[in-house]
Amino acid sequence: MKLVHLAALVAGLALAAPASAETLIRIGYPGTGLDDRAYGYGDYPAVAHVQKLVEAEFADQPDVKVTWTFFRGAGPALNESLAAGQLDFAAGLGDLPSIVGRSRGLDTKFLASAGTHDALYLAVPPNSTIQNIDDLKGHKVAQFRGTNLQIATDRALEAHKLTEKDIRFVSLDSNAATAALVSGAVEASFGGAEYIDLAKRGVIKIIYSTKNDDPTLGRNAGLFVTGAFEKAHPDYTGKVVHAFVKAARFAADEANRAAVFEIWAKSGLPAESFAADFSDERLAHRVTPVIDAFIVNRYKDQANRAKAYGLLKKDVDVDSWFETKYLQQALVDLKLEHFWPTYDADGKVVTEGDVEHTKAVSN
Amino acid sequence: MFSGPIAGAIEYAGRATNVPRRIGCGLGRIGGLAQGLIVPASLLMAWSVWARLGWLPEQILPPPSEVFGAMRDTIDDGTLLSSTLTSLRRVAEGFFAGAVFGLAFGFVTGASRLAESLFAPLFLTLSQVPTLGWIPILVLFVGIDELLKILVIGWAAFIPVALNTAQGVRDVPRTYLELGRVLSLSRLSTLRSIILPSAVPSIFTGLREGLANSWQTLVAVELIASFEGLGYLMAYGRQLFQLELVLVAMIVVGLIGLSIHLLLSLIESHLQRWNPRGQS
Repeated sequence: MKLVHLAALVAGLALAAPASAETLIRIGYPGTGLDDRAYGYGDYPAVAHVQKLVEAEFADQPDVKVTWTFFRGAGPALNESLAAGQLDFAAGLGDLPSIVGRSRGLDTKFLASAGTHDALYLAVPPNSTIQNIDDLKGHKVAQFRGTNLQIATDRALEAHKLTEKDIRFVSLDSNAATAALVSGAVEASFGGAEYIDLAKRGVIKIIYSTKNDDPTLGRNAGLFVTGAFEKAHPDYTGKVVHAFVKAARFAADEANRAAVFEIWAKSGLPAESFAADFSDERLAHRVTPVIDAFIVNRYKDQANRAKAYGLLKKDVDVDSWFETKYLQQALVDLKLEHFWPTYDADGKVVTEGDVEHTKAVSN
Repeated sequence: MFSGPIAGAIEYAGRATNVPRRIGCGLGRIGGLAQGLIVPASLLMAWSVWARLGWLPEQILPPPSEVFGAMRDTIDDGTLLSSTLTSLRRVAEGFFAGAVFGLAFGFVTGASRLAESLFAPLFLTLSQVPTLGWIPILVLFVGIDELLKILVIGWAAFIPVALNTAQGVRDVPRTYLELGRVLSLSRLSTLRSIILPSAVPSIFTGLREGLANSWQTLVAVELIASFEGLGYLMAYGRQLFQLELVLVAMIVVGLIGLSIHLLLSLIESHLQRWNPRGQS
C-alpha cells in the first residue's frame, strides 16, 4: 500500500517538474541588510531585487526560475559560491573581490557597471582621540577583508602615507564591525552608509569620508555572468541585463530619489542614512550601468594597486574581461544611450547625460 | 566503585583516547615513520598529476608548486615565522593554564568522593558545550583580545586533562594502595610513589588530548577575530582567495601538531619505563 503511494508520489513529482525544461537563473548579491536581512542597499541590483524586475522579464516563461542569494560574507563568500558553480550572476560584486576572482581563474564576463564613486567612511567611538586617518597608526581597526572596502581603505591609507602594516586590522564583517565598534572592541572601522545612522544617534562619529575627495578613491562594483551561463544562454543573459538596466534607470532618476531610498531602507538602514550618504550628490553619479573610460581605468588601476598591496599574486587582464554587447543592446532597446553621463579616465565628464536634467519631485 | 552516568562518561572519554595513542606509538618507530610516508607521498603525487592535467580548477585546489611558492614567499617575508610564533605562544599560554587547573581539578575530584559529587555534574554538563560555543558569551565579558584566546584554548585543554586525571587517580589499583598502607607510607609518599606513577598513562592521555584540543581550538579562535597567527593567515587567505596561503597554514598546523604529539609520546614512554605494560 505504502509502496504504491510512494510510486504515485514519485510519478506525480516527475510530471510536475520536467527537469529538462527548467532553467534556473541564480543571482548572488554580496551583502545583506541589518541583522542579515535578505536585502541590499546603495545600488541598482538592490532595486531590481525589490521590484522583481528580473523575474518580470521572464514572466511569460514559467520554466525559467530566478533565485537571489545574499551573502553575509560579501564578495569573498560570493566568489566561493561562483567557484563551486552555484551562481550564474553576481550583481554588485565589488572591484577587489571580482579582480581577485579573475586572478584565480574564475570565468566571468563583466556585463555592466553596478555602481561607482561609492563612499568610504571612517567611524570611531564618540569619545575617541582619533581625529583623522593619520592617527590610526598602531590602533586596532575593523576591516571587511577581501571586499572593495579593503582596497578603498588601502588607497585612503596610501594617500595618507600609511600601509596596512601600520595598523592592526581585525577582520570583521559589516554587522560584526559595527557591534565591535560600539562595544569598544575595536578603535575604528572603515565602512559605508551603515555608519551614518549610528553617527546621527551619537553612538559613533564619522571622522573621514571619501565623499568630495578624489573621485578615484570611491568604491566600484559590477554586474557579472559566468562564462558557462553566457555561453549556454545568451538570450537569457540579454534579458537579465535588460532588467538590470531598467532598475538602474529607475534608481538613477532624481524623480525617484525618495522612492529609491525607501527601497534601500528595506535593508533595515533608515532612508535618512541614504539621504545623508547622497547629500549634494546626484543618484546617477553612483548608480550607473555604463562602462566608460573611467570604469575601465578604475579597474585597471585597482588591479595594479591590489597587486602592489600584496592582495593579488598575478596580473589581471582587464581589457578582455568586458562583454558590453548586452549592455549596449539594452541601452538601445530602452532608449537610454544618452541617459547617463560618461567620464574620461580621470573622472572628468565627457558627455552630460539626460539624467542630469531629471528633477526631484520635491525638495 | 563508580557508578552512574558520570563514571560512564569518564570511562568513555578514557576509552576514546586510547585509539590515537596506539597510532602515535606506531609512528614513533623509524620503520613506522617510513611506512607512514607512503600514503601522504602518494596523495601528493596524485595532487600534482591532477593539477598538471587540469582536472582540478585552480580556484578549488591550487597545484602543489603554488603552495610551495607561497610557503617560500611567506618564509622570506617573515609572515610564516611570526604567525607560527604567535600561535605557539597562544597555545603554550592557554594549554599551560588549562593543564594546571585541569590537573588540580582532576586530582581533587579523583581523590575525593565529596569533591566529585559536588563538581562533576556541573563540569560534565559544561564540558558538553563545544568549546567554540563559549565564544559569543566570552566576547561580551573579555572582548576579542588575547584573553579571549587564552581562555578558550585553556578551556579546551582543561576538559580532557581534568577528566583523565580524575580517572587515573581513581583507577589506582587498590592492591597498590593497600601495599602503601602496609608499609605505613605518609600521604605525600603515597601520592608520589603510588598514585602519580600509576596515574601517569591516564594523565598523559589527558595532556595529549588537551594539547591537541588547544591546537585545534587555536586555529578556530584565530579565524574569528585576530590580526596575527596561523588561523588568521588562513582567514586572510580565504578572504583574498589565496587558497595556497590557506594550505600553507594548514601544513604548518598539521606538522606542529604531529611534532607535539610525538614529543608527548616520547616523554610518556620515558616516564612509563618502570611499567612493562606501558612500554609499547
